[in-house]
Amino acid sequence: MAEGAGLVRMSGIGKRYGGVRACRDVDFSLGAGEVHALLGENGAGKSTLMRILSGDVTDYDGTIEINGAPVHFGGPTDAQAAGIAMIHQELDLVPGLSVADNIFLGRELRTKLKTVDRRRMEREAGALLERSGVRLDPRRPVGELRVGEQQLVTIAKAISLDARVLVMDEPTSALTTSEVERLFDVIRELRRSGVGIVYISHRMEEIAQVADRATVLRNGRIVTSFDPRRLSTAEVVEAMVGRPVQTMFTTPDADTGDELLRVDNLALKARRPRPGRRDPEGISLTVRSGEIVGLAGLLGAGRTELLETLYGVAPAGTVTGRILLQGKEIRPRRPRQALAHGIGFVPEDRRASGLVLFHSILANTVVSSLPSYGRLGVIARRMERAASVRMADRLRLKFGRLQDDVGTLSGGNQQKVVFGRMLLTEPKLLLLDEPTRGVDVGAKAEIYRLLGELAGQGLGVLLASSELPELIGVCDRVVVLRDGRDVASFSTADSGEGDLLAAAMGEGAVFEEVGGAQ
Amino acid sequence: MTDVQDKPATQVERSAGSVVATLFRFQSVFGLLAVFVAAIIFSPRKDGEILFISADNLANVVRAVSEIGIIAVGMTFVILIGGIDLSVGAVLGLAAVGSAVLMVESDWGFLPSVLLVLVIGLVFGALQGVATAMIGIQSFIVTLAGLQIARGLARIWSGGQGVAISYGDGPNEAPESFAILGERTFGGLVPIPVLIFAVVAIAAVVFLRVSAFSRHLYAVGGNEKAARLSGVPVVRVKIAVFAICGLLAALAGIVHAVQLNQGSPNDGIGYELDAIAAVVIGGTSLMGGRGSVAGTVAGALLLGVLNNILALNNIDSNIQLLIKGLVIVAAAALQRLRPAT
Repeated sequence: MAEGAGLVRMSGIGKRYGGVRACRDVDFSLGAGEVHALLGENGAGKSTLMRILSGDVTDYDGTIEINGAPVHFGGPTDAQAAGIAMIHQELDLVPGLSVADNIFLGRELRTKLKTVDRRRMEREAGALLERSGVRLDPRRPVGELRVGEQQLVTIAKAISLDARVLVMDEPTSALTTSEVERLFDVIRELRRSGVGIVYISHRMEEIAQVADRATVLRNGRIVTSFDPRRLSTAEVVEAMVGRPVQTMFTTPDADTGDELLRVDNLALKARRPRPGRRDPEGISLTVRSGEIVGLAGLLGAGRTELLETLYGVAPAGTVTGRILLQGKEIRPRRPRQALAHGIGFVPEDRRASGLVLFHSILANTVVSSLPSYGRLGVIARRMERAASVRMADRLRLKFGRLQDDVGTLSGGNQQKVVFGRMLLTEPKLLLLDEPTRGVDVGAKAEIYRLLGELAGQGLGVLLASSELPELIGVCDRVVVLRDGRDVASFSTADSGEGDLLAAAMGEGAVFEEVGGAQ
Repeated sequence: MTDVQDKPATQVERSAGSVVATLFRFQSVFGLLAVFVAAIIFSPRKDGEILFISADNLANVVRAVSEIGIIAVGMTFVILIGGIDLSVGAVLGLAAVGSAVLMVESDWGFLPSVLLVLVIGLVFGALQGVATAMIGIQSFIVTLAGLQIARGLARIWSGGQGVAISYGDGPNEAPESFAILGERTFGGLVPIPVLIFAVVAIAAVVFLRVSAFSRHLYAVGGNEKAARLSGVPVVRVKIAVFAICGLLAALAGIVHAVQLNQGSPNDGIGYELDAIAAVVIGGTSLMGGRGSVAGTVAGALLLGVLNNILALNNIDSNIQLLIKGLVIVAAAALQRLRPAT
C-alpha cells in the first residue's frame, strides 16, 4: 500500500440529484501505485463519485486535490489533462470504426503529410491490445465484436492515454476468467509504474485478488474501509446491503421432472458467416422441467449463439440436427414462434436489446404478452396494469410509478423488468444470457431466488454465464461449450469451478482461438 | 430458500419536475394557444370586429390545413417507428389524378373511384413498407424512389395535364355526389374536408391509445432489436404503418381534387415537407418511439394559423417562409430542453 503518496484526495464530496442525495460527505483518497476498490450496490453513489473525479459532473460540494493542489474540473477534458482516465460501464466506442480507429479517436497518428497513419495506428493498437490481454485484429470494426471484446478495447484505449489515475467501472463484467487474469496482470504492471487505480466491481473474489484497499458505499455515504484480504465475502456483502445475507445462492433443487428440451447435434451454417460469431457446430443437451442447466464456456465458445438459435434469432442459414420441446420437434425462425412454443429469452445486453429505456415500466413489462389483455386488438388498460403490478410484486421491483421510464430504474431492477416481461408469456423454458451482469449483489440474490422459485414450479432454465460461482451455485447441471460444441457436462453437486474451467479451456491452445487468428 | 428480506417498494421522490414534464409533453398545444392569442392581437379589424376569429376565417384556417393534416397523421405513424415517408405529396398527386381520370374520363361511379384510389394509396404504401422492412433499405431512400415513381405514374395516367372535373350526369362528368365532399359544409359551418380531417385525427388518437398494435409500433420505434426479441412482429408493423400512411395520402389526394375541381400530376409538390414540419412541431421525435398524433394535429393547426394571420396582414409570402422556418427550429430547440429521462 503506497500511503503518503497522496495522488488524489477528495474530501467532503456531496451531490444531489433533485431530491436524491447521490453522495454525502464522502472522503476518498488514492495513492500512487495503489489499487483502491470501490464497492456498493447499484445506486450507492460509486458512479457519481467517480463521475465527479473524472470531470463528468461539475457541480458538487467538497474539494478535490491532485498531488496536493486543489482542482475543480470544468469537464472531462480538464480531468484528462490532469491525467485522470475513466473506463465507463457503458462502452463509449464508435461501432462503425475499427478497433485501432477507436483507440486513437480524436488523437489519430499522422504521417509527415498530415494524413492519418493507419498502418502505425494498427500496429500500435495491436501491441496495446496484446498488453491488455487479448489478441484481436485491430482492423475489425468494433460493432462486430462482442461485449467482452469491446470491453477489452476500452481498457486498451484507457491504458494508451498514459493516465496517472485510472478509474475502472466494472471492467470484467463481460470477460471470461482467463481474460480477467490477464487484465489483472496489466493492473499489477500499471501499479508498479505508479498509476493509481480505482476499481469498481461487484465481484468480491476479484477485489480480494487485486485491490490494496476497499471502500464500501451505501446510500451515498462511506460505510467502511478495509483491507480486502482480511474481510470475508459475507461481511463485505452485509456492509454493502446493510443486512445479513447468509446464502447468495439457493440450494439446487434435485427434484426435476420430465425431459422438456432436447437438443440433438444442433448445428447452424450461416449463409453469411460473421467474424467473431461461433454458431453451433454440433451441440447436444437436455433440460428437464424444473431443472436449471448452466452453459459454461470461454468467450467465443458459442453460448449466446446457441441460445439465439433456440430462440429463432440466429442469422439466416442452414440448421441441422433437432430441437425437441416436450418430445415435439420445433424449429423457431423468429421470437414470436419461440414464444408461442413457450420459450422465453432474456438477452445479454438489456440496454441495447432488452428495453426501450425511455418507455414506461408498464409498456416494457407487457409488450410480449399484449394480446392477452383484451380482445380484437383493443387493450383493456386495467388488465395490463394488473398484470404489471402483479409481476412487479412477484419480482420485488423497486420503482416509483408504473408510468415512470424504465431507464430510471437501477440495473438490477431493469433486469427484473425483462424477466417479468418473459414470465408474463408463461413460458415452459427460459433461456438466460448473462442475467446478472452489471446487477448489484442484492438484486443478484433476488434473481437467484426467483430462478429457484421458477424451477420449483416446473419451469426449465438454460442459463449462460461467465461467472463460475454463479453456475456452480445456481445450476443443477452445467454443460460446457467449446468452439461451438458441447465438451462436458457436470452435476454441480460433485464438481467445482476448476472442473468447468479445465473443460472450457481444453488443451491450452484455446487462448489463440478466443482472440481469433489474425 | 433465501434470507434476503423484502424491502418495501420505495417511492421515488417526485419533484416539481413532473409539472415541467407536462408542459413539454403538451408543448405543441401551448404553442398553438400562444400563436392563436398572438393572431387575435395582431389581427386586422373591420368595424371593431376581429377578422381572425370570425367564423368564416376560422373555418378557412382549418380547411386550409386539412390536407396537410391528414397526411401528417400518417406521417406521424411512420416517424414513430423511426422512419420517414417522402412519397406522400406525390401519392397525393397520384390520387388526385386518379380520382379525376376515373370519374371524368372512365365514367366510374363515386364509390368505386374513391375506393380504387384509396386501395392504390394503401398498396403503394405497403410496397414501400415491404422494401423497407423485408429488404432492409432505409425508408428515406425507399420513399425518395417512391416519390419519383408516384409522380411518374400520375403523369402517365393523366397524360401530363391537369384533368378538370365538372359535375353532372353526362359523359365526361363526375357525379354530383363527389362535389359534396368539397363544397358542402356540415351544419352550415364545418367544411367536409375539415370533417374528414377531424375523423381521421380522432380515429388515429383513439387507435394509438387503445390498440395493441400501437404498443408494438412504439416499441419498434423505441428499440427495434428489443421489440423483435420481445416477440413483436416488426416486419408486419412496418408494412402496416407505411400502408396506413399511403392510404391517408391518397385520402388527402381525393380531398385535394374535390377542393380544386381538378386532378393534376403536379398536385402536392412539397407537401411531405409541410407534413414533416407539422409532426416535428407536434413534438414527435424523428428518432422514433416518442410522440403523438394530438401533437401533430396541434402542429398542423399552428402552421395554419400562422399562415393565415400573416396572409391577413398582407405580409409578403417570402417573409412567411422565413417565419415558418424559424418556428420549426424553435419547436425543435424546445424539445432539446426537454428534461432528460
